[in-house]
Amino acid sequence: MTNVLLIIFTISLLYLGIAHRLLTYIKILALQGVLLFGIAFIDLIQINAINLAFVLLETIVFKTIAIPFFLNYIIKRNKINRDAEPFLSNFISLIIITLIILSTFILSNAINDSRISKIYFVVALSTLFTGLYIILTRHKIITHVMGYLVIENGVFILSLAVGNEMPMLVNLGILLDVFVSVFILGIFVNRIGDVLKDTDVDQLKNLKD
Amino acid sequence: MISLILILLASLFFTGIIIRTKSITSGRKGPGIFQPLKDIWRLFKKGSVYSKTTSFIFQVAPSIYIASILMAILVIPLGQYKGIISFEGDFVFFAYVLGTGKFFSIISAMDTGSSFEGMGASREALFSMFAEPAFFILIGSFALLTGHTSFQEIFASLHFGSYISYILGALATFVLVMMTMVENSRMPIDDPKTHLELTMVHEVMILDNSGFDLGMILYGTNLKFAMYGALIANLFMGSFPLYLTIPIFFVIQVLFAVTVGILESFTARFRMNHNAQYILALSSVSLLIFLGVLLVLKLVS
Repeated sequence: MTNVLLIIFTISLLYLGIAHRLLTYIKILALQGVLLFGIAFIDLIQINAINLAFVLLETIVFKTIAIPFFLNYIIKRNKINRDAEPFLSNFISLIIITLIILSTFILSNAINDSRISKIYFVVALSTLFTGLYIILTRHKIITHVMGYLVIENGVFILSLAVGNEMPMLVNLGILLDVFVSVFILGIFVNRIGDVLKDTDVDQLKNLKD
Repeated sequence: MISLILILLASLFFTGIIIRTKSITSGRKGPGIFQPLKDIWRLFKKGSVYSKTTSFIFQVAPSIYIASILMAILVIPLGQYKGIISFEGDFVFFAYVLGTGKFFSIISAMDTGSSFEGMGASREALFSMFAEPAFFILIGSFALLTGHTSFQEIFASLHFGSYISYILGALATFVLVMMTMVENSRMPIDDPKTHLELTMVHEVMILDNSGFDLGMILYGTNLKFAMYGALIANLFMGSFPLYLTIPIFFVIQVLFAVTVGILESFTARFRMNHNAQYILALSSVSLLIFLGVLLVLKLVS
């Protein structure tokens, strides 16, 4: 059953490549949160109960409810234009994401380690590279943050792959998530709208001295 | 033999059910189920008008189009019964004989000398180019899964066991339904009702055809729908005996027609430059199906 959820997760990555509106990005992040909840529930059922409850609470509360809610709030409050402005057209994004998935598949076949399951490795690496690609090719700062959240989901999947042996690794992945939520809360909600009138990554250049 | 008869029977009512479903969802009662057939019969009795700028290709192309569709139907099996033609690798024959028909309809559209039809021809060529890897990767994955390369053997030995093969079957059905919409130029790729220049794809290629030729082209659309419906029905049939497969076939065709009608009523056509990326997304999804099949076969763990 985890294989099914991982395949749906990869399809959501493809959808991320062709989406146009910022709201669609947020809905995809919420869907990925729900899928990670399912995978974590099925995989980690053997670790002790308190750890498991923490992990499940984190995926549902943070990834599915809190972060999409805050992203929505930021978009409405700062009156950000609702179109995700890409540098490259969505067609090329789709081709590049397909190539990313294919090349991680070929890469995982070259690494013959028996301790890690291949499908987890492929999905985690392709999520990581897709998140990196989203950071690189969008104009806005808010999509920068969304790309980082996608990278975090990838790290979480990789930690689930070895989660039964090392439960503390999963907790580390979660702390990364909490860190980003505080980051968004603290900086974006209050400061960015006041300081940078134009939410464009080119404006970040002005911050260097 | 039996699949040919069943597909011809299904093509008689398929478009009628689509139009009826669209009317009912709009609140009307709609025309009868055999109304499209009556329209085609009326067109068969009329004479054709050929323009002086066209050559022999324009007069020959509709016949080649419908002949290619009939030849492609000869390959399709019904569960464990073979089609009339069946050999190793016949799914490649299927795709390319349909491609021949499409090629002739494209060059006949350009033969008329109207740049309007040439525009539709180039769009049609682009969308078919992106839909082709989707079909091949999909059927290729099933060929890999069952170890055979002919349609009849693939469908006879396909059975769904684990969770993952169910989702592969569901994804394959979705990709086949969407490919039907692409190949027949229906929503959300192309609106069959629009006649605005900026937005036509298939309708514009057949603007200059009339009479018997137009009747053949319209009946070709019906046949193509019934053909893809037969492919989808074969995914679910397995090796059941005949008294089960025939009702399953007709139920799936009717359900497919209702689904197409509902999809057409409730979705708007995509922007023209978004169509290409949508069809490429179908190819990427079928690539994921291929990777999933590699997983099922335990070639990866």
